[in-house]
Amino acid sequence: MSDLALFSRKPTMSVNGYRVVQSISVFVIALVVISPLFMLFIASLKDDRFQILADMGSFRAFWVDNPTLSNFREVGNFAGELAFGRYLGNSLFILGSTVSLGLVINSMAGFILAWGSLPGRAVILSLIIALYVIPQESIIMPLLIIVSRAGLSDTFTAQILPFVASPLYTFLFYQFFAQLPKELYEAASIDGASIFRTWWSIFMPLSLPALATVSILMGIETWNQYLWPILITQTDYARPISVAIATFFGQDSIYWDRAMAASVLMMIPILVFYLAFQRWFISSFVGSAVKG
Amino acid sequence: MGNRLLSTLVATTALMALATAADAKTVVRMMHQGDPGWVALYGKVAERFEAANPDVDIELIYAPHDAYNEKFSSAVMSKQLPDIIELDAPFLANYVWSGYLKPIKSYIDQDLLDDMTASNVAQGTYPIDKDLYAIGLTDSSVVLYGNKKYLEKIGARIPKSVDDAWTRAEFEDYLAKLAKVDGVKWPIDTFRGYGIKTEWVTYAYQPILNSFGCDLIDRTTWTATGTLDSQPCVDALTMMQTWVKNGWVVPMSSGTNQFYADGEPAALAWGGHWFYAEAAAKLKDDVVVMPLPKFGDKSASPDGTWIWAITTQSEHPDIAGKFLSFLLKDKDYRDFAVSQSAYPGLKSFAAQSPLYAEGGPMAVAFEQASKVAVPRPPHPAYPTITSAFMQAVDQIFNGEDAQKALTAAAEKIDEDIADNDGYPPFDGN
Repeated sequence: MSDLALFSRKPTMSVNGYRVVQSISVFVIALVVISPLFMLFIASLKDDRFQILADMGSFRAFWVDNPTLSNFREVGNFAGELAFGRYLGNSLFILGSTVSLGLVINSMAGFILAWGSLPGRAVILSLIIALYVIPQESIIMPLLIIVSRAGLSDTFTAQILPFVASPLYTFLFYQFFAQLPKELYEAASIDGASIFRTWWSIFMPLSLPALATVSILMGIETWNQYLWPILITQTDYARPISVAIATFFGQDSIYWDRAMAASVLMMIPILVFYLAFQRWFISSFVGSAVKG
Repeated sequence: MGNRLLSTLVATTALMALATAADAKTVVRMMHQGDPGWVALYGKVAERFEAANPDVDIELIYAPHDAYNEKFSSAVMSKQLPDIIELDAPFLANYVWSGYLKPIKSYIDQDLLDDMTASNVAQGTYPIDKDLYAIGLTDSSVVLYGNKKYLEKIGARIPKSVDDAWTRAEFEDYLAKLAKVDGVKWPIDTFRGYGIKTEWVTYAYQPILNSFGCDLIDRTTWTATGTLDSQPCVDALTMMQTWVKNGWVVPMSSGTNQFYADGEPAALAWGGHWFYAEAAAKLKDDVVVMPLPKFGDKSASPDGTWIWAITTQSEHPDIAGKFLSFLLKDKDYRDFAVSQSAYPGLKSFAAQSPLYAEGGPMAVAFEQASKVAVPRPPHPAYPTITSAFMQAVDQIFNGEDAQKALTAAAEKIDEDIADNDGYPPFDGN
């Protein structure tokens, strides 16, 4: 074997070794991420809630001897104020409205901050960033009083309106728009496009990665809302699925069988939502990393 | 033409007003928690009540168990307290002191008031005016569950009543022996898995303090320093810390199922009455129900559960009381409570609950309630008392010095009481 051959093989082995380590790492990380979801799905197929608990903490949690859809049927016959599907519908309506309005409002704000001739733009931007660090929990009671006094208790509006404008998403849009070439804005101005037209016809079509990122983040945040809907609603009329699922976690008993089946059902729409937008979501993250 | 139109308009308006008046119903709102079975049941009882009282509309407001206190606080802040609320008994003093609840006696049927067990009366009574502010169908207790298979292996004596409960020496001897039995990973589950965000720690461990001869707070002077940090309390928590250090107690991370989980790794369980249903479902006849051990001169057990009260914001307390009486007598409500192994708080309900009747598997729990139940401190500072104590227990189980942790907890409680000027008239003024 010549020296040249040895020299040429070494890097190949090293690359192979690296790939093996990389594959194992990815497999382990995927296993850690997927195993709770798999366990959730397996548990939803077991009809004995005590057995689900008894199996937890052992490998039996990942195995079902006699799979059944009875939990899903029981969830379908949910004995709450409303049918389970209605809670799911409520959640989808709140999600759709919040994300649609949120994309419009936050992108408008981000665009004006990036390209508009707004006096005190830097100060406003600093204030928006400062607002982002305030946790939602700390303003929940004042917000509750404001929304109640506005007569919006127990409505869908109360669950949509307060979360449409967000400092985080406005800033994300601002950052994205600010990175687009100045020539785009100037060309639109020379052609006589209004600022609204420039935003809608020029910048928005170029912003799919930002729109996808905000949609996914906002969608997950909205879908997982739990405390706010409980506080602001009195009846079940406008309550989302997260509150309905909490019914299975009672004072003395936890109905793991039905809770697991309901959680699987709750997971499906947001999973579909994520899969629909993930291509742009990932490209947005990759783009941010390169530019950053 | 104009007059005719005007007459028609006036007549239509008058008819509409009459129709609206005829349709107008008295709305009574009730806030509750509970799992799907209870939620469905309240709905059905409300429907039956509405059918019997067509001029009343019962509006149910459900709040999940783990977010109930937040929901209650938000209702107070937004001035939207419903007519009827369900509340956890130890919080009653705080709610009455804050002015949220009405005395309930004049609104509830007399036969129900006469039917209440002493423990039920105690959990609904405000200690200042000795008036009744809440009533419930149920109460609660904690017992010691044992796995017969393991207890027979170590030749343990099985107590049959509160009077022959295990002593501390017996109990610790059995824990040490159980630790060496094949198949036993932990001699006891004290349900640390419930965490410190629920009432469990204070509810279930206070009897250990009481049995040692101390308490969470002095119930005469309402000061914690000198009581919660006294030597008996320090000894009690040091004893529990030793169990944890010895590896005898199921850790918090292992959940609440180790008594009956695959392989039955925990031999004993310091569990609530509700635990019987799940333990018996898995272990069948191997479940032994025993009274809590007697650590000092006396036995003690906890009581108190979720009960019903009428709020001061209610504009229709009479109808609210009428509905509560209807609910507490409802046959389906009682049948469902029996199916859930609910612990009786009414004498007539006890007679309907074979589980707790003499000779029943949980009879010892009912005996405990009548002989040695100690309620949690009925004081407006209770939210602070329970939170400070739970934090101290958590620190002690994680290795903190018991004296240091309990002293800090006692100081925190006394600070809260001082900050509220002693919560008059609890300060004697």
